[in-house]
Amino acid sequence: MTSSALTAPRGAGRLIRLAATIALVVWFAVPFLPLALWSFADAWSFPSPLPTSWGLRGVEDAVGFGALPSFARSVLLGLIVAAVATPLGALAARALTFGAVPFPRTVSAMLLAPIALPPFAAVLGVNVLLLRVHVPSAAGVVIVLVVLALPYTAFVMRAAYGAYDLSYEEEARLLGAGRLQVLRRIQLPMIAPALARAAFFAFLIAWSDYIVTLIVGGGEIVTLPLVVASAAAGLGNDAAVAVMSLTAVLPPIALLLAVLRLRGPRRGAVRPAPTRGIPDPVASLGAGAARER
Amino acid sequence: MPRSGSRHRRASALALGIGLLALAACAAPQTEASQTYDDWDSVLADADGQTVQLWMYGGDDQGNAYVDDVLSPAAAEYGVTVERVPVTDTRDALNRVFTEIQAGRSDGTVDLIWVNGDNFRTGKAADAWLCDWTGLLPSMAGTDPDDPLLQSDFGTPVDGCEAPWHKAQFTLAYNAEAIPDPPTTLAGVLDWAEAHPGRFTYPAPPDFTGSVFVREVLASVSGGSDKVPATFSEDAYDELSPALYERLSALAPSLWRGGDTYPANEAELGQLFADRQIDITMTYGPATLTDLVADGTYPPETKVLTLEEGTVGNASFLGLPANSDSIAGAMVVANVALSVEQQVAKAQPDVWGQFTVLDIDGLGDADRALFDALPTSPVVPGYDVLSRNAHGELAAEWVPALDDGWRSGVLQE
Repeated sequence: MTSSALTAPRGAGRLIRLAATIALVVWFAVPFLPLALWSFADAWSFPSPLPTSWGLRGVEDAVGFGALPSFARSVLLGLIVAAVATPLGALAARALTFGAVPFPRTVSAMLLAPIALPPFAAVLGVNVLLLRVHVPSAAGVVIVLVVLALPYTAFVMRAAYGAYDLSYEEEARLLGAGRLQVLRRIQLPMIAPALARAAFFAFLIAWSDYIVTLIVGGGEIVTLPLVVASAAAGLGNDAAVAVMSLTAVLPPIALLLAVLRLRGPRRGAVRPAPTRGIPDPVASLGAGAARER
Repeated sequence: MPRSGSRHRRASALALGIGLLALAACAAPQTEASQTYDDWDSVLADADGQTVQLWMYGGDDQGNAYVDDVLSPAAAEYGVTVERVPVTDTRDALNRVFTEIQAGRSDGTVDLIWVNGDNFRTGKAADAWLCDWTGLLPSMAGTDPDDPLLQSDFGTPVDGCEAPWHKAQFTLAYNAEAIPDPPTTLAGVLDWAEAHPGRFTYPAPPDFTGSVFVREVLASVSGGSDKVPATFSEDAYDELSPALYERLSALAPSLWRGGDTYPANEAELGQLFADRQIDITMTYGPATLTDLVADGTYPPETKVLTLEEGTVGNASFLGLPANSDSIAGAMVVANVALSVEQQVAKAQPDVWGQFTVLDIDGLGDADRALFDALPTSPVVPGYDVLSRNAHGELAAEWVPALDDGWRSGVLQE
């Protein structure tokens, strides 16, 4: 009785966990099912539960709408925005965390402000300004998207720096490491997983944007969301829209998997044993002196 | 990185301040006079090497393919590159132009817009269009100067502020398998709907297509389109609209779902027709019917319902924003688009199937032969049949009045 009482809850727990996992997978997968079906449906009429004829017309139509070049432009835009917004977010987060900024709460609130602003209103106003100072459209799109991505990258990096122990850097400096060495060998490895996460968010902002790319870009950067939206506005394009929407999910998923991989094995390998011995005030004094050089 | 950063930060704050000052300095709009032309040769000379951004509704894959594969190569022969910018709504293109003009930019990125009706009127009211330029286009010689559809665009005088591109005709289509003996007048269509409950409906105004349908019913219950004055007046509205709403209210219980709900737009109406839930659909772009039948979206027995009293027709245009940075190039593209070769190519049912704005009877024999040789669509009859007894659009002011009246007089009954 005792042994079965011990094992029974565990078995039940495992079952519940399994059921929950399956439910979650279904919950996330179900919306993609009609998309996948539509992608290969040449015809699908009410009330038939499945497409009435299968084929690759959706793929051909998607190519006709310009899916391929716009896909490449979207990837490039996402990578550029991530490449700019991630280090900026990291710098802002580090400055905020380690007290280099006066009124850190106000500055944090300002950093987060773009999330609260309705993008359409902000973009229309900002665009007049960008046009007046003759910022090229492509640069304008990158600038505005970086501003929109900054709250996310800064937020992720603040969490990372909040858990970051400066004394590793101090110790390395005391042992004679240069600033670049500290950056490369201590800081970057320790914040790498957070950087990857931040970059992922920044990429997503640019990847899914419609309004900034359209209005600030002035039609010079036709990305995937623009093509999908214009195709979705027409009758009989369901298959092409489904193909493009499914394709649009792939890069974020691939990036997410890469981010998760980066996080896993590195964590144990990089983190040194905690050394709580060094008193913080002394350490920060030393660091300050070293930097003024 | 603590503390030491503050010095750099002060420096960057200063830089930012200087930047803002510089920004304020150039904030004043600085519109320059747009380039204007007197002769076609200088247009051609300037156009060589220019890139023209053509902003157009991107939801029609045939239209996209026509511009990319047929129009663009033809413009390239003049050294003009055409870049198609797909938008979900033509208003997006106008918004971009308005923003640029507000910012004082005379080197705008929008060079041509596929436009008509309300968007044209809005742009004209804001002086956003370049005007009096279509007279320069050699291809304009092929159009009929007295063609009412090309003189005014939904009641707004064209005044050379947009170049004609193609014509459209409001068209009803039916599934001949379900309706072996179709009605021949709009009144007959409404009677048919009452005799076959649940098999007919129309999009709810203010949807574009639903709104057109209501105007057609207005013409029908008023005793013909010539009984409805094109210019709007309260008196005309008060006199004519009660009969319209009475008729539509009487019809409502016989509509799809008893008139409790209406499709939101032409796409939803078309989906009901594709699903065989209704037997009659309607569109202002009958050219798409051929393709929708060929690819199996619409029933194979889909036929166009030609009405004895005719239907409303319009033309759509290419508008040239006054602040375009490629005015010459845009003029060349508009001229190429209006040439006999392009108008014939665009009229091919498997290319785009759009009706020409050229005056076919006024063309030379060789050019007319090209149009005569166009293959006939198994679904859509020629423009001469479709546009028989056609009438023009009412002035734009009629539209909101009728739409509001429909909402209170028919929908809330």
